[in-house]
Amino acid sequence: MPQRNARRVVAVVSAPVLVALVTWLAIQLDANATTVGFLYLILVLVVSIYGGLTVGLIASLLATAAFNYFFLPPVHTWTIADPANWVALGSFLVASLVASRLVVQARTQAADAEARRNEIEALYGLSIELFAATNRVGALGEAATRALTNVGATGGGLILFDDSPHAQRVVAWNGAREDEVEDLAAGVGRHGQTLEFPARGGRDVYLPLGIGGKIRGVLVARGSHATKRALESVAALVALAVERERFVEESSHLQALRESDALKTSLLRAVSHDLSTPLTAIGMQVERLQRQLRQDDLTATVADLAEQTARLRRRIENLLAMARLEAGNFVPRAEPTPPADLFRAVREHLPLVEQNHIVRIDVTADCPDVYADPSLALEVLVNLVENAHRASPPGSTIELLARRHPMDAGRVRLEVLDRGAGIADPATESDTARRGLGLEIARTFAAANGGQVTLANRPGGGAVARIDLPAAVLPAVAEAPQA
Amino acid sequence: MTARVLVVDDDAAIRGSLAQQLGEQGYAVILASDGREGSREFDQQHPDLVLTDLAMPNVDGFALIEHVRAAGDTPIVVLSVRGGDSDKVRALDLGADDFVVKPFSSPELLARLRAQLRRTGAKSQLEFPDLVVDFERRRVMQASREVHLTPTEFAILELLARKAGKPVTFDEIIAVVWKGAPGTTNDAVRVHVGALRRKIEPDPSNPRYLVTEPWIGYRFIAEPIG
Repeated sequence: MPQRNARRVVAVVSAPVLVALVTWLAIQLDANATTVGFLYLILVLVVSIYGGLTVGLIASLLATAAFNYFFLPPVHTWTIADPANWVALGSFLVASLVASRLVVQARTQAADAEARRNEIEALYGLSIELFAATNRVGALGEAATRALTNVGATGGGLILFDDSPHAQRVVAWNGAREDEVEDLAAGVGRHGQTLEFPARGGRDVYLPLGIGGKIRGVLVARGSHATKRALESVAALVALAVERERFVEESSHLQALRESDALKTSLLRAVSHDLSTPLTAIGMQVERLQRQLRQDDLTATVADLAEQTARLRRRIENLLAMARLEAGNFVPRAEPTPPADLFRAVREHLPLVEQNHIVRIDVTADCPDVYADPSLALEVLVNLVENAHRASPPGSTIELLARRHPMDAGRVRLEVLDRGAGIADPATESDTARRGLGLEIARTFAAANGGQVTLANRPGGGAVARIDLPAAVLPAVAEAPQA
Repeated sequence: MTARVLVVDDDAAIRGSLAQQLGEQGYAVILASDGREGSREFDQQHPDLVLTDLAMPNVDGFALIEHVRAAGDTPIVVLSVRGGDSDKVRALDLGADDFVVKPFSSPELLARLRAQLRRTGAKSQLEFPDLVVDFERRRVMQASREVHLTPTEFAILELLARKAGKPVTFDEIIAVVWKGAPGTTNDAVRVHVGALRRKIEPDPSNPRYLVTEPWIGYRFIAEPIG
């Protein structure tokens, strides 16, 4: 800036000096008025190029005065005798003013064009750097500050937000950073508006970095002469790069998740194979013992062994299924399932329940099929029936009922009713006999099928577990074509 | 005649238990520990039935199924693990006839094997406990009372009863009963089977004859008499 002022002082001083020099030269050469006029015109143009509009105007006025005083008769007076010379002098003045203005305009445009060229070059360089270079946030910050310098900023840098504008991370910075920078950046982050104010050596500009709403950071240009548009372009490029960086990070995170899921899947497969194989062998041996010990004292012991083996088997299967659901590699496959089939499968799974209780099953004639994953729906029932079995005295009745939901035609209600002690605390549905994994598993599997399980006490003693599941909608169909 | 069963499983404990049980039931048992050994035993011994695990080292059960199917129509029963529904379907598609899910109970396994070895062939009438299906006269007697079925219901019952004990897929039912008519959905099959059950089951809450085979189709569970 001081350099520019000195140049201007030199130009202002040089204007009268040059006018005097040209005047002296013209007198020595004894040039005629026309030649002198041209000489002065050239002088005004040159002075305008170097000195700008003001100096050009000063030179024009001085040259006009000198032209009149030294060359238009009567010379050495400020008067003009011949009216034609008034025209000549006027023409000279107008010509020199217009010329100096044109020259200055051309020069300004050239300077502007040069500045735009610089800005575009800087932007181009930045875009190449940002999108061809590494995916590192640090590299991104360096590229951004370099671009700011190239568009004429004397300082500033890149600040990114972690979650909120108040959790700031200065990625790159040039020059001094005062405390208020953080507050200003936070303000810009909150409001999403560009902040611009005059400062030492130019303007300070705070530009929000955000694509599609959320502001992810602020680009700060300090002491800048760059146009707002150029700065906004830099900010848009940096914002794009930040966003891309985020996507790259997210996708590598997803990739890692997928890999860990794949690992879980193969682990589950292995565990499931390694657990079911010995259990199958144990189960078969126990069954064989049962057949051979028909008249033996050990019959009860072996029956208990068989039951416990079966329970352990079911638990392990349930836990594996829960793990699969959670790992997301088991998606429930719903299909229309008749409740009677579910009840039949429950009885097959729990032979001991039938040996110790009277099991009554009723599916109303108008009860629709449930729309659920059959294996999960079965496990819901098995767990609830097993709970009922454990909570109620031997010889009592356990009922399995299925009917259309009384309030919601789009659902089916399955019920497991027992005549046990009931639930100690119906509000929390907690009960020692029913506590534990069984209910938890039933709830998880019911939820996976878009259903829910509720427990309540029955009038006359005992408890009822209700499972509400979506009903299957079956189409009206015609007969098959006959051959 | 003693039926000969080829048992293929990589786990020695399972092989041992199966050999014991099947032996007690009067089957002649041939053992193999993987698909390669299974294929070799199959080629040399020509068993009446193949009972195979799916996940095995070297050559797995799927390859064995393909090998056995390429040689003929020897019944194949697959031992699958819980949660391996896609494996089950793949095995059936490759030509397996049935599956039992590990861990299975002995009566269940034995019933499956009996069903596969049974030759119902082209009998004109099949008799089940409390149910007689007369294919020639297209009549169904349920506990000596005649049941009136629609032609579609009868066609489904005929297909399932002739394959008593074996799973019948939706695709097969549509192919046989509907002659593969385009646009026939599994739901259409479900509706007709639902109606059939209401007519032939004495207590629809406790099915005795027809059960759903989740994701696959249906199975007629009663065993024929005689």
